Amino acid sequence: MYLAEADKEIGAVAQDKAAAKPRPSDRWQDFPYSILSHHGRACCEVAREWVLAMDFAQLNGADRLSGPRWLRQKYEWGPSPWPMHWCEAVTRKTIDCGAHAALAHAAFGARGLTAYPTQLVQVYSEDATEQWRGKWARDDVSCHWLDGAHIYHEATALLVGDDEVKIWDASAGSWIPPRQAGGYGSLAAIRIFAPESSGGGDGLRWGERRLKPNLWNQI
Amino acid sequence: MKIYISGLYCGGNPQPGVGIARSLREGYPEATLIGVEYSNRVSGIHWQGLDDLWIQRPWNELDLESYAGKVRRVLDEGGLWISGSDLEAMWLASLFPGGHAGLLAPPPDALKRIAKPAVPAHAGLPVRIPTYVATDLPDWDLHAFCRANDWRVWLKGPYYDAARTPTWDSFVAARNALTKVWSTERLFLQAHVSGYEESVMLCAYRGELLGCVSMRKRDITPEGKTWAGDVSPVDPAFEAPLRRIVRELNWTGGGELEMVRDPGGQLWLLEVNPRFPAWVHGATIGGYNLPALLVQGASGARAVKAEARAAEFTRVVLEVPVRDDYPLPPLPEPFAGAVGHSMKHPSGLTSLAQRLHKSNPELLEIVGEPAGPAAGGKPAVPDTFIADIAAYDLETVQTPRFLYLESTASGLFKRAAERSRRLGTDEVQVVSGYSIKTNPDERLIRLALENGFYAECISLLEAQKALQIGFRPDQVILNGPAKWWPEGLMPKERLHAVFCDSVADLDRCVAMAAGDLASRHVGIRLRTPNVVSRFGIPLDSPQTFSKLVEAVGRLPDEAAFGVHFHMASSNIGVAQWWHLFESMLKWCRSIERLTGRTIEILDMGGGWFPDDWHAEDESRFSRAVETVKALLPAVRQIVSEPGKAMAQPSMALAMRILEIQEHEEDHVEAVVDGSIAELPMYAFQPHRILRQCGETGALQPLGRGKTHLMGRLCMEHDIVASNVALPEGTRAGDVLIFCDAGGYDRSMSYVFGRG
Ligand SMILES: [Zn+2]
Repeated sequence: MYLAEADKEIGAVAQDKAAAKPRPSDRWQDFPYSILSHHGRACCEVAREWVLAMDFAQLNGADRLSGPRWLRQKYEWGPSPWPMHWCEAVTRKTIDCGAHAALAHAAFGARGLTAYPTQLVQVYSEDATEQWRGKWARDDVSCHWLDGAHIYHEATALLVGDDEVKIWDASAGSWIPPRQAGGYGSLAAIRIFAPESSGGGDGLRWGERRLKPNLWNQI
Repeated sequence: MKIYISGLYCGGNPQPGVGIARSLREGYPEATLIGVEYSNRVSGIHWQGLDDLWIQRPWNELDLESYAGKVRRVLDEGGLWISGSDLEAMWLASLFPGGHAGLLAPPPDALKRIAKPAVPAHAGLPVRIPTYVATDLPDWDLHAFCRANDWRVWLKGPYYDAARTPTWDSFVAARNALTKVWSTERLFLQAHVSGYEESVMLCAYRGELLGCVSMRKRDITPEGKTWAGDVSPVDPAFEAPLRRIVRELNWTGGGELEMVRDPGGQLWLLEVNPRFPAWVHGATIGGYNLPALLVQGASGARAVKAEARAAEFTRVVLEVPVRDDYPLPPLPEPFAGAVGHSMKHPSGLTSLAQRLHKSNPELLEIVGEPAGPAAGGKPAVPDTFIADIAAYDLETVQTPRFLYLESTASGLFKRAAERSRRLGTDEVQVVSGYSIKTNPDERLIRLALENGFYAECISLLEAQKALQIGFRPDQVILNGPAKWWPEGLMPKERLHAVFCDSVADLDRCVAMAAGDLASRHVGIRLRTPNVVSRFGIPLDSPQTFSKLVEAVGRLPDEAAFGVHFHMASSNIGVAQWWHLFESMLKWCRSIERLTGRTIEILDMGGGWFPDDWHAEDESRFSRAVETVKALLPAVRQIVSEPGKAMAQPSMALAMRILEIQEHEEDHVEAVVDGSIAELPMYAFQPHRILRQCGETGALQPLGRGKTHLMGRLCMEHDIVASNVALPEGTRAGDVLIFCDAGGYDRSMSYVFGRG
């Protein structure tokens, strides 16, 4: 939920943490993951039913664990204003990573799978974030997600075993490889909103790692 | 130390030779690396890292015997040989069946046990083999395999080459092309597995696994070959059985297991290559120098330890100087009037394949293929076909002529009606619909009536015909985009159901319902959103869906509401059809929720291939009924409309041979008096063909052969069957009977070339 209030919160958190060794995720310590709002009327209900029925149709008989890449094909990744309702999200040409992740999360859930909202911090470059800052500013949308060479990003963790997850990057249309070695486009931190008891208290297994739920795990 | 390295091709689908040379140079800086090639057109011969070259004439020119002597000599003199080509490795294996200390390639028995597509050696590995069939099955069975696998299939050559064949005509074309290239009909069809490709590369010496490494493709060429990848250690659960298999096979040399990991994590083994893969040096960059480990294992000379520089590698395109002593050969002239230079396989590998087959025909055996009545390429033809056809006096029959197969047709309708009765429950009635367009022959419409079918009509002319034959108006279902055509033929009485094909059609229905349209059910046809279709109301965007929801709200309350969807199962495949069915039920449930209208009639089906419809496990249908009940509890009637499954087997087309012309290499062209005007479905499905024996009168099915049956029309594409064998003694005047012609072949046949 990219609200102006959240922006203020972010600034306050960043100041509090200034004394400790800064971590890339500090800026987004208390930042909530994106949730699509519902008007409580037919407009949003039609939109939601359409996404879920279309997601099942687009599986074409493939494994339910397949990533819903059709959503990325239908909706470009780019700036979108928040708060966002279902009926607005599905009629836009462009939606941001939070909306993409929210749609993927709903699609996985409707397939009967367990999915968790997931926040990421990724490393790019100042050149890249400068470009994005300009693009978002031109659309008059908050740039709270950009911080130097780091960016805030949203994805969806899909439970594929008892305690194992795969991370679907809906706005890239690909799974994020658990093996990370830094560099442009790599992952700096990840936070998965899942039950505390996941993995018998050890956290969720992602490749070789264990990720504690509801905390920023530095990569 | 002299090491001979072959397989230097460096195009978009490269061989590993250059990568092997680069890795060996790192492991053995002082070794003499000699590149072996069979064409001076192969760019890898110019790689500067090779100390010397041994260029042979292409395989189609090469005197294998004298060349074998030379190879033996270099090995006897202490040279090591690492083959970078599957076919060369096979030839070397046949040359040294007991191995040679310097030959770093697998023995013949090991090659047999890794043969595609069964790869018998895979037992014990945590992999599965995608389902496959050999293409010497009858066309009828190959078509069934494609349907069963949703037409997501590959036609593969014995060593290389694979073609996606999403339709029957593309399969026939690809089979002709691959048969020509590899001079064999021993091809196979294999189901596609969707997922991410990964490989395990290994090296072994005399059955001892020296090293192995995993690679996942991270970027691919348009052909699906590796362009970039990441390397990692092999999972111990994979390595342990691999080590045992390598020992059992007494493997020597490099090897690669090519696999796909599906979304559920299951590994599928596509093939095992008897050589290093082209990305071999990518693994060396990751710290796994397998060529050096192999040479170390074979020679005992210590290799420089490999250091990991990166866990990921990628390719770039490099220009290198051409060697003075191997100037570039000129580019061949394009064939006059043709496009492109046509220069695949410059080293004549396909010719080596032919020569290997001659000396070792067992190389082409497809292991594990099902044996049975299908062997020999002759299709199984149901007894009722034979009995019905035998009832005709074929001697006097005017050809071409459609033969109505009476007992076959009545049996089909009877069985379908019985099945519907069995599937029905107290809450949900299951009935069959006969799609009149599939074959408007009166005899079939009458059978439909007698067996309790409803009449599915796409025009008022069809509806009137159904009424004339005896259907009551309340047994008529109207659907399709032009169901009100022609004007003035609308029955006055109440129809059973009308399904609207568009929102405009729906509004017309709403208006008509206030006037002369009376129907117990008024519903909508849904357009399949994931399979291209021109029919029904689209669902492809939230906006169109919203319009549909609003439109349903305008439907009169007096009529019960229903949904209709049809998609040809024979085109999209059986499994995909069932997925579509489930998907459509979900759309229906959404429509119920959003409109508040409950669905009372569900009309579904379309385009089932007879074998799929009649042979499908009945429990699949009863599960479907249960699913409908669970998702749409208000449904009172399911109309199942199998489409051509009823009509197609009910008629055959008799035709006469007019002339037989024999050509070179057993190719035969026979002209017949039938044509594609009577068999318009020739490009979409095979037909089982019978020939009446001139002497005994027996009906014999035609197997596969080199005969083309040319239709009577002066049209280039009028070839009614390809690659069939006419039985011994077939003459002009003999009658051929094309079965399975009672569906759209019959109803869409046209008058052509009759003056
Ligand atoms: Zn809304």
